[in-house]
Amino acid sequence: MQDETTQVRDIELLALHGLAVKKAGSAVAVADILGREEAEVAGALDDAARAGRAMAAKGMYMVTPAGRSWLDEQYPVAFARFRADPESAAAYERFERVNRELLTLFTDWQMMPAGGERIPNDHSDPDYDRDIVDRLGALHERGLKPLDRFRALDERLGEYPRRLEQAYDKVLAGEHEFVSGARVDSYHTVWFELHEDLLRMLGREREVYE
Amino acid sequence: MSRVSERILVLDGTATYGPEIIGGKGASIARMRALALPVPPAFVLPIEECRRYHAGDGGLEDPVWEAVLTGVAGLERDTGRRLGDPEAPLLVSVRSGAAVSMPGMMDTILNLGMTDAVEEGLARLSGDAGFARETHVRFVHEFGHTVLGADLDPPAGDATADDTRAAVREDTGAEVPTDPHDQLRAAILAVFDSWTSRRAVAYRRHWNIPQDGGTAVVVQAMVFGNLGEESGTGVLFTRDPLNGDPEPFGDWLPGGQGEDVVAGTHDPLPLSALAASLPAAHEELIAAGRLLEREHGDVQDIEFTIERGRLYLLQARAAKRSPQAAVRTAVELVETGAIDVATALGRVTPEQLETVLAPLLPDEVTAAAEVLARGTPACPGVASGRVVRTSDEAEVADDVVVLARPTTSPEDVSGMISAAGVVTERGGATSHAAVVSRALGRPSVVGVGEDVTAPWAGEVVTVDGSKGVVYAGRLATADVRVEDVPGLERLIGWARERGPAAVVHDAPDALDLDELGITVAPDAAPDVDELVERMRGAPAVRGSVLSTAQGAQAVARSGVTTVVALPGQHAATLLLRLAQARES
Repeated sequence: MQDETTQVRDIELLALHGLAVKKAGSAVAVADILGREEAEVAGALDDAARAGRAMAAKGMYMVTPAGRSWLDEQYPVAFARFRADPESAAAYERFERVNRELLTLFTDWQMMPAGGERIPNDHSDPDYDRDIVDRLGALHERGLKPLDRFRALDERLGEYPRRLEQAYDKVLAGEHEFVSGARVDSYHTVWFELHEDLLRMLGREREVYE
Repeated sequence: MSRVSERILVLDGTATYGPEIIGGKGASIARMRALALPVPPAFVLPIEECRRYHAGDGGLEDPVWEAVLTGVAGLERDTGRRLGDPEAPLLVSVRSGAAVSMPGMMDTILNLGMTDAVEEGLARLSGDAGFARETHVRFVHEFGHTVLGADLDPPAGDATADDTRAAVREDTGAEVPTDPHDQLRAAILAVFDSWTSRRAVAYRRHWNIPQDGGTAVVVQAMVFGNLGEESGTGVLFTRDPLNGDPEPFGDWLPGGQGEDVVAGTHDPLPLSALAASLPAAHEELIAAGRLLEREHGDVQDIEFTIERGRLYLLQARAAKRSPQAAVRTAVELVETGAIDVATALGRVTPEQLETVLAPLLPDEVTAAAEVLARGTPACPGVASGRVVRTSDEAEVADDVVVLARPTTSPEDVSGMISAAGVVTERGGATSHAAVVSRALGRPSVVGVGEDVTAPWAGEVVTVDGSKGVVYAGRLATADVRVEDVPGLERLIGWARERGPAAVVHDAPDALDLDELGITVAPDAAPDVDELVERMRGAPAVRGSVLSTAQGAQAVARSGVTTVVALPGQHAATLLLRLAQARES
């Protein structure tokens, strides 16, 4: 199920993995994460549903508890090379640095300081917002470095810089929902999926920040 | 403003140029100097120089560099210090400044002029070797990061400048210059280059800003709050940013430098301590605040440093304020004659008004209530509901639920959308749960403690996301009355006088836009023209769409004179929107 690189190509595993990263989603959404054809992903997800690893309803899929257990069994084998490669740990360490600063940025975007306390950002101050959009751009560019390293290990992870770029471009165009909006593929949404994806591949736990 | 040569402008207040010539920051310094306010000496390379640089073949032309050296000599004369002189070192900041601010421009570089010898000199002058070392490290780090693009961890507390130089070298292969003039030249070039950074170019393309403009470069002498007696740094708000109280409010950190106040690493004193120890500087500061507030017609947030008894204003800008303070200051600035009524009506957003009028948990209710847990307030507001512990349950629930999770991940977003409130056991104000709750406007408390929420399953709780408390049971909230909010009655009175329509709670023959199927769509703004067509000639209108700016504009344009407030709509907010629609 693996070739000579760290890359995993097994669609049966990847489709369910992509679905687990998203939790619930259509084949289109999972295909977007994986950079694969929708039909191929839909087929794999239908197979997963028949095997009891996913539930399907009205074109949406969800991982079942059995599917989760199955993934947990598969990960150590499927991602053995990725996990063993010192390059992935080194890239992850860089990723974490940017991650911490991004989380602070998302908070700043939503809550702005006023006299020692924080109040919800009602976006009435364009200078404040512009400053954060600028910081997001700087972090976006910094984040591309570790992402390039991940892409060199597994081409599939190159879908994330593409999706992050799309979100950031919308932010620059003034679509502020794409900073941290929860209902769209905002920068925060895509970044969080990326983080979840990496954690699953590496078999790590999420750090808890203050 | 004196033109030392045609290549730089000294910002001494003798003349002012607009942001289109010397950028926003340069223009702001020039304006403050023209008001005779104490600002550290500075000069600027105008935007024209950036254009010339990009039209040329790279590098600074000799006449520009000579002009910069003349400008530095002026700063040296004004401060009695010299660049690179360990006995009396001049340190400068370098900032970008385009006509309109935009993403991608180079960040500020502070403490430029730092060398090993200057670090030793500064250690002697300040009597604080740790400060001198940290200032040097901060400079090398900032220069490495901003000019050379190094991706660095924040420097460790005991790091030396050499350590930091090595880290920059390892990441970029480039050296942070050790000669102050080389530092200055590289920083100026980096500002010019940032005009064509990917981000800046993309931003200008999106907003149809011409690509052939440029950014000015401001070079300003740094002042120190930790050199000698009678020194320190602080922040002044001309009014209290939380409640709008018209008394000056702020922090004073004797012997503090630069970011010490903002960073919160030291505990500052109130401004009264400054009044007691340095009354003349305090008085000058308060007067400067008053002058700037009148000049700009808005509450000011001023960063200042006092060096050996002498006050310097580092930055002044409109202060961020709470929604309550926004209402009160808008009204009181009209009363002092600083702004007119139309401006005041534009100073408060309908969203701020909604926040001010959001129901609260009264003290007498919370005093009698059982506190289940306390955590970090993550999204303000109050929500009650039955506790579910998985997002799947939240999604299928028929009743109002509160989602309580150990922590949340992207898997929980749809559950959070379905829930009225959110509680997590782990994580702080930057956790996923906090970020997503705020994006969704779901009252939320995070980090209440490991395994705390498990016993709540199926129970009804009340989440106070403003205070960070979870209570047992469903607590009654209290409405906030207009007369309870200082200034609000006046503001609403003005809105009523000036607005295009009256707001009432009932009217016969009111046209119901909701019944006509004209409602608010989640992904598209209402069409004003269509709304005007539908409501023209109606004696009165009602509808959820009137809670939008477009709805209010349509009322103003259609000539409808009466709006009926729906049960969920605050008359005050509708009046404010209508008044703003007329002004726009």
